[in-house]
Amino acid sequence: MSAVALAAILAIAVVVFVRRARVRVALLRAAPGAARTDEVGTRARRELVHVLGQRKLFQKALPGLMHAFIFWGFLVLFPTIVEATIAVVDRDGTLPLIGQAPWFLFLVDVFATLVAVGIAIAFYIRKVQRPDRFRGSHMEEADKILFAILGIVSTLLLWNATKIALGMTAHPGAEPVANALSTLFGPGQPTETLERVFVWAHILIVLGFLTYLPKSKHLHIITAIPNVYFAKNGPSGHLAKLKIDLEGSEEDIRFGVATAKDLSKKQLLDLFSCTECGRCQEVCPAWNTGKPLSPKLLIMDIRDAVAGLDPEGEIELQPPLVPNAVTDEVVWDCVTCGACMRECPVDIEHVDTIVDLRRNLVMAESRFPTEAGALLRGVEGPNENPWSQPASARTDWIGDIPVRVLDPGDPAPEYLFWVGCAGAFDDRAKKTTQSVARLLNAAGVDWAVFGGRERCTGDPARRMGHEYLFQMLAEQNVATFADAGITKVVATCAHCFNTLANEYPDYGATLEVVHHTELLSHLLAEQRLLTTPGTNGSVTYHDACYLGRHNGRYDAPRDVLESTGLTATEMERARERSFCCGAGGARMWMEEDIGTRINDTRFAEAAGTGADTLAVACPYCFVMLDDAAKAAGSDMRVADVATLLAEATLGDTAQPEAPGP
Amino acid sequence: MGATWVYAEVTPEGLHPSALELLTKARSLGGDVAAVALGPGATATAAELGEHGAATVYASDDQVFVDQPGRPAAHTLKALIDQHAPALLLLPGTYEGRDVAGCLQALTGSTLMANATDVSGPDRARTEIFGGTKIVDVDLAGPEPKLVLVRPKSFPAEPSGGTATVVPLEAVVPPGPVATVIERHAEAASGPKLEEAIVVVAGGRGLGGPEPFAMLDELAAAIGGAAVGASRAAVDAGWVPYAYQVGQTGKTVKPEVYIAAGISGALQHVVGMKGAKRIVAINKDVDAPILKIADLGVVGDLFQIVPALTEEVRRRASS
Repeated sequence: MSAVALAAILAIAVVVFVRRARVRVALLRAAPGAARTDEVGTRARRELVHVLGQRKLFQKALPGLMHAFIFWGFLVLFPTIVEATIAVVDRDGTLPLIGQAPWFLFLVDVFATLVAVGIAIAFYIRKVQRPDRFRGSHMEEADKILFAILGIVSTLLLWNATKIALGMTAHPGAEPVANALSTLFGPGQPTETLERVFVWAHILIVLGFLTYLPKSKHLHIITAIPNVYFAKNGPSGHLAKLKIDLEGSEEDIRFGVATAKDLSKKQLLDLFSCTECGRCQEVCPAWNTGKPLSPKLLIMDIRDAVAGLDPEGEIELQPPLVPNAVTDEVVWDCVTCGACMRECPVDIEHVDTIVDLRRNLVMAESRFPTEAGALLRGVEGPNENPWSQPASARTDWIGDIPVRVLDPGDPAPEYLFWVGCAGAFDDRAKKTTQSVARLLNAAGVDWAVFGGRERCTGDPARRMGHEYLFQMLAEQNVATFADAGITKVVATCAHCFNTLANEYPDYGATLEVVHHTELLSHLLAEQRLLTTPGTNGSVTYHDACYLGRHNGRYDAPRDVLESTGLTATEMERARERSFCCGAGGARMWMEEDIGTRINDTRFAEAAGTGADTLAVACPYCFVMLDDAAKAAGSDMRVADVATLLAEATLGDTAQPEAPGP
Repeated sequence: MGATWVYAEVTPEGLHPSALELLTKARSLGGDVAAVALGPGATATAAELGEHGAATVYASDDQVFVDQPGRPAAHTLKALIDQHAPALLLLPGTYEGRDVAGCLQALTGSTLMANATDVSGPDRARTEIFGGTKIVDVDLAGPEPKLVLVRPKSFPAEPSGGTATVVPLEAVVPPGPVATVIERHAEAASGPKLEEAIVVVAGGRGLGGPEPFAMLDELAAAIGGAAVGASRAAVDAGWVPYAYQVGQTGKTVKPEVYIAAGISGALQHVVGMKGAKRIVAINKDVDAPILKIADLGVVGDLFQIVPALTEEVRRRASS
């Protein structure tokens, strides 16, 4: 009788599960793959660290502990679900080998209790602490899920307690919690009935939970596993190459993501893996300065739009994701700083999806903030730089500094100094360029520049979504490197650095790329640069997103600063948790008119350290934070690490970085 | 060829100048020319429309065309088109023209070409792409009438001295949800446009607040025909609206004279004004980058120099 009932319920649960999962499975099947099957070892290791080890969850101590208790608990408790299924049919049946082993009984007892503790912590976080990161999340759904989990473990403990009371367990001492609970129950008939009630309740809650999963945010218990596996290997600053084949059939032409059908398998898994925990929202510079973009809400909104689709319906009729699921503003607010991706416990790649949405808006619809048009025209135009400055002016910074400008056919230097457009044209960034040049000369490095043959790397065009323009620039620059026989490159711009080091290999470059702070740190270690002690003052260092978080370079700039003799203090948000200056993602060339300004917010944090100098290592950060310093009327000096080193090494007199009111 | 029609936009101030431009063009294409004028005062425009080449003017003075945006005009046009089957309908690329055209296209299902700069018949129009750097001719396929939105001021308005037959119309007001115009407000523009001004007086962070911009307004007024601009820093600080912004992400200006007061000359700003014939910079900091590109650099306190300059300009103008 019990067996028949169980089989029927089981069958219903499975059918409901499959039916509810149908839409998501069909979408996943039809979606283009993300080509993320290489480097199996790296992927397997990440699975161990991020899933089993819960590493990214532990970036927050209490929520991490909460989740680890529940997650590890369920790993241990899987066998008990099987055990309960057996016991529904056969009261005395149990798992072979481990069912009555004291160590197993002990583990089950402890972990079931830890899960309950985890639930208690979760409610404490959600109902007492109430962090802002949950704003916009489905709180009631979370409550339901937590209650269901609590139901699963409490029925398990009570079931075990009744078994102890009925003398069905050989080692009651191995189950301290269930043993204590067993005192609630006598040995007679009522307890025998309760034993059946608890085991049935346990199974029914588990199966009910199963049918609830496919349409809930809790589906992450399944989807997070492949999502972590298929996450990006290597630096997060690397964007996938978009194949633009204008000669191919019209069907094959894709300009990023327009509708749900353009989302890759990984992007869909991202949507189905989001638990709405809001860790991304908490660190997002746009959200934190009052803008509409929250990485969490972006993922949720796309997910909801996708979930409403009929997989058998006409895909051509699917509405575009922008502005139906997310607004244009949301798409353009992103600074691509990657803070969201770094926090995400299940390795959702928000930035890559935003760039894909931009690709479609820019390339298929020519739809982007008007003021950014000058950037695209400048980069595309005859001078190939964002400010449309004459290419011949790329060497204007040189002045009387001895610099070798490479002409075609010249012998290759050891290092090609990639000056970058900001480094060549912006008055503030030019000071960094000059400092680096003088330091390289002082250290006796064999180096040269391309001068007027340098072009924009294409980074701002690419982050804006203009992949086609980026590709043209990349191919031309790669050819320039190859013709000149360059093998090593040093760049002062974190964005150039990221593009040259991580993205140009996709276009045939084989370059060893270092950031100037790395090279300077190396030259100091080799004592090819010597600092004169006696420098006074204090400094705080701002990590550039594309140097730090996206590429893991945290120590070189700090080592260089240490050698200057300046006293360093850290901002609260430093290293991997650094807060963007506001210029990434081509935001440098867009207006920021909603909420407060990101650069002002970051500068206020820097000024709060009380240091008298704010050190930067990227021209974008330099311009943004120096503007913020001026707007604040602050005396704090903003200067590149290289300029501070030049002052300590070469005895350069300190100059105000950007004079003028 | 078939008839060419012109949607003659009627504003509370009378006929929109684009109507006469489009009629002048329509005349040159050959074929019959008619105009459709909708809204209070429409009938009264018929004489002027006729004088510019409309043989027939379909007119309705119904208030509904003012009270509701786009839809009634589109439905009225649709009924007329069904009756007379013109080959081409030219609409002005104004806010109203675009509104009506979009709605009308949904009703007719015919080809709509937006942002045209020229049209050579029902089958071909011209437009600019890539920010005006490329000009393309576009073949218009599909059923008639072709709908072409033409940028205002693409053609001169020249009278031909004809007269028009006026055909009164009934407004077609479609059922369904109605959007109602609650208020019309034209942003008052004072002085010449920033991009077109012969002299631009611009202020930056050195002004220290919104009030000193009045000082620049006075100087601009004294010069006459001068416009006031600002650097991004002044706009970001909220001292003046974004419309004032000169630079990479603002307006690009090429005046005869550009007077920069309290502007340091960051790249973002210089990009928007380096095309000026003469640059005058007033800055208290002798190292300000703007002084490197200025034809005349004045190092000093702008709060003394600007009023003195205004005074001198006034004195010379009056003498």
